[in-house]
Amino acid sequence: MAKLPDKLVEESPQFMPKNSSHLSQLSSADHERLAHAVMRRQSLLSLRVAAVFIVVIFGVPLFNHFLPEIAATPILGFTATWLFLGVLFFPLACLLAAYFIRESNRIEEECSDWRTVLGEPPPNPLLRKEGESHTPSPYEGEGRGGVDERGKL
Amino acid sequence: MNSSYIPLIFVILIIVATVWIGIAATRASQTASDFFVAGRSVGVFWNASAISGEYLSAASFMGIAGMLMRTGYDALWYPVGYATGYLFLLLFIAGPLRRFGAYTIPDFAEGRFDSPLFRKIAVTFVLFIGLFYTMPQMKGAGVTMSAIMGWHYSIGILVVGAVITFNVALGGMKGITVVQAFQYWAKLFAISAPLFVLMTVYGGYSTKLMENRANPADVPRITKETTLNFKGAKDAPANAVAFSSLSDTLITFPDGATIAKASPSRKPLPGEDKMPADAVTKWGEIGTVFDSPLPRGKAHAPETRMGNLGVVTFPATAKPSDAWAIHPFGVTKAGMPIFKDSKAIKTAPKIEFETAAKATLAPGGYFPNAPNNKTWSNPFGTLTSKHGYPLLYTYSLIIALVCGTAGLPHILVRFYTNPDGRSAKRTAMLVMIMLGCFYVFTPMWGTLGRSLLPELYANNTTDSVVIKLPTVLENKLLGQILSGITSAGAFAAFMSTFSGLLVSMSGAMAHDIYGKILRPNASPESRLKAFKFAAVGFGAAAMVLGLLVESFDINMMVGWAFAIAAASYFPLLLIGSWWRGLTKYGAAIGMLTGGTCSLVAIVLSMLLDKKILTWEVSPIVRTLMEQPAIWGVPLAIGIMIIVSKLTKPHLPPDVAMKMLRLHAPEEMGFSKDYIEEKPAH
Repeated sequence: MAKLPDKLVEESPQFMPKNSSHLSQLSSADHERLAHAVMRRQSLLSLRVAAVFIVVIFGVPLFNHFLPEIAATPILGFTATWLFLGVLFFPLACLLAAYFIRESNRIEEECSDWRTVLGEPPPNPLLRKEGESHTPSPYEGEGRGGVDERGKL
Repeated sequence: MNSSYIPLIFVILIIVATVWIGIAATRASQTASDFFVAGRSVGVFWNASAISGEYLSAASFMGIAGMLMRTGYDALWYPVGYATGYLFLLLFIAGPLRRFGAYTIPDFAEGRFDSPLFRKIAVTFVLFIGLFYTMPQMKGAGVTMSAIMGWHYSIGILVVGAVITFNVALGGMKGITVVQAFQYWAKLFAISAPLFVLMTVYGGYSTKLMENRANPADVPRITKETTLNFKGAKDAPANAVAFSSLSDTLITFPDGATIAKASPSRKPLPGEDKMPADAVTKWGEIGTVFDSPLPRGKAHAPETRMGNLGVVTFPATAKPSDAWAIHPFGVTKAGMPIFKDSKAIKTAPKIEFETAAKATLAPGGYFPNAPNNKTWSNPFGTLTSKHGYPLLYTYSLIIALVCGTAGLPHILVRFYTNPDGRSAKRTAMLVMIMLGCFYVFTPMWGTLGRSLLPELYANNTTDSVVIKLPTVLENKLLGQILSGITSAGAFAAFMSTFSGLLVSMSGAMAHDIYGKILRPNASPESRLKAFKFAAVGFGAAAMVLGLLVESFDINMMVGWAFAIAAASYFPLLLIGSWWRGLTKYGAAIGMLTGGTCSLVAIVLSMLLDKKILTWEVSPIVRTLMEQPAIWGVPLAIGIMIIVSKLTKPHLPPDVAMKMLRLHAPEEMGFSKDYIEEKPAH
């Protein structure tokens, strides 16, 4: 394959904005739409994980209150509720955290190009390379999956 | 051989290591950003170690074990809340906050709302919460030093204060990051290794829990003559000794004692009779007392009856020759016994010492102040049932711990040291894992302490269980070594948390007050100088405050900081990051109201505890005062929303852009750092 190193991506994908070239063209209405789209997916994820966590942590006192006999069932020398709160709760919270991070990073990857988020066609990588300073039109390229393709190059 | 100097060696070792690592790391501290946020170059592992090291304070290292020993199951909420608060931080705050590119919470406050005034308010809160949180650390240092070496309370404070102030002033954030990361691992070792030795000798966690449940009504027994130092009224309520209602307790005062008050342990409900006159009787002379412990439960013919008119007036001064028998008595209403589950309710006298005193408990009785096995092992025990609304208390406690963790400024500032939002999230998760590993051990200390060292109940010193428990080992040398390890761990706890607070307060001073408000054009060099001056100033202030709070409970003071943070910063960050409709007025008024109301409630509650205030407060209000998070957090959020709706015209015009800065992935290019990297030298 032809060597077409996209410098911005290669150098430091975390610090260097790879898709910022045409940000200046966005209107404030676009910003609004973009913010809405990006936040919506992330907040739904956060709320989903938080809901599980809240149900569990707020459920324990209710369980202790209404089903004290079951809460006091001996398991491995502990009572059920002691084992859950004093030991098992920590790994459970970590599992929730791991799930959240995996999903959240997936969302970020999918949202890393504002064009995909706004449902516009991604740019042609060749055009992007020289298009840092002057930007005629962002919509010229029409190849699908711009992010993935640049990643491979 | 007297081996009590061993703990001191360990404490000196940890202090020397701290100073040495701090100095070594300082060489690498070059730029202003190194100083304030460690150059944003800290890897996830080191950053997570440092956050965990900073977070595990005196309250975590000593307080939770002591509280679990004292109150049982309910105290499990503390480690759970402290650790899983990071889940909330991760879900809602860590990523956006880092992305926003601000150095500190005041940066966030100003940047998000375009309001320099808001920066000032936020700075005030950083300093306020910080100072509140330094006090228990200082107290922990003083108490530990006097526990292991018998030195004066102020020495521990001066040592810890001076060492850390020196370290922070020298190395800033980057120096401290390495120190704190080291201290996390030191603490993890100190909380776990001695426990393995103890459990090998005396039996494991679940074995002890099982033993505790075997006989639900039982209370730890006094098996040998036990002489203890009791606290005086200035440490109230820790000067109270509630005797067992299972049998007589025989007590003598070798040096005499002054007793402020004697009352029934169980708070009399309206209409119930006062304490009977023969609840406390004079019993024998010293020397004759302990030869043959009295058979339990049998009433003894009192030699001298005290008091009259149905109220015991324990003699104000107990002379050295006086030995006392404290008798349980049935609770009566108009002379008739009260029954619960067809058993007569019994209680026993509670005495409160006026001045610190030495007292000897005779074998054969039960330790005062210790809850019975059933209360201790099961939910809704002495901690949450204190005011009669255990479920409400539990929920409010959970909210305070989880939301408070997510709003502690000295922890949040650490998330800025991540290179980007993604690594901030990974850091939050790793912190949770590290904290979980640590916290799973703390209840074990409390559980073993209940079985092996129940005398700590009697004089309300369960907080020292982590330091003292290893000394029960037969092998005194090993016991002292293990106690030395836990003492060093405790010192690491005060030092790391204090250094984190000092960094965040000095950073707020140098960056937010000096660099942004006083002299916006100050060069990085002069900001660095301001940081160092501020560090020395706050270090000195913290030491002075530490000297003033000797009689305050460590956990209580930490609770203050958490409750204030939960109702002020947590709503600000949560709503500020996720709701674009938040205006500066809404945010500021909500934050101030929530934080202030919670603070007032807690301080009033403390004054009631200390009996400085003597209001009649209904139990439900009392519960809500002691644990204000359940109304404080919704109050702050509610005010933020309502005031924002009313002040809609004041929305920042580019709020969508700000939201993008908070939430768009870095690759999209909306993030920007607040402060450019400029070399300081």
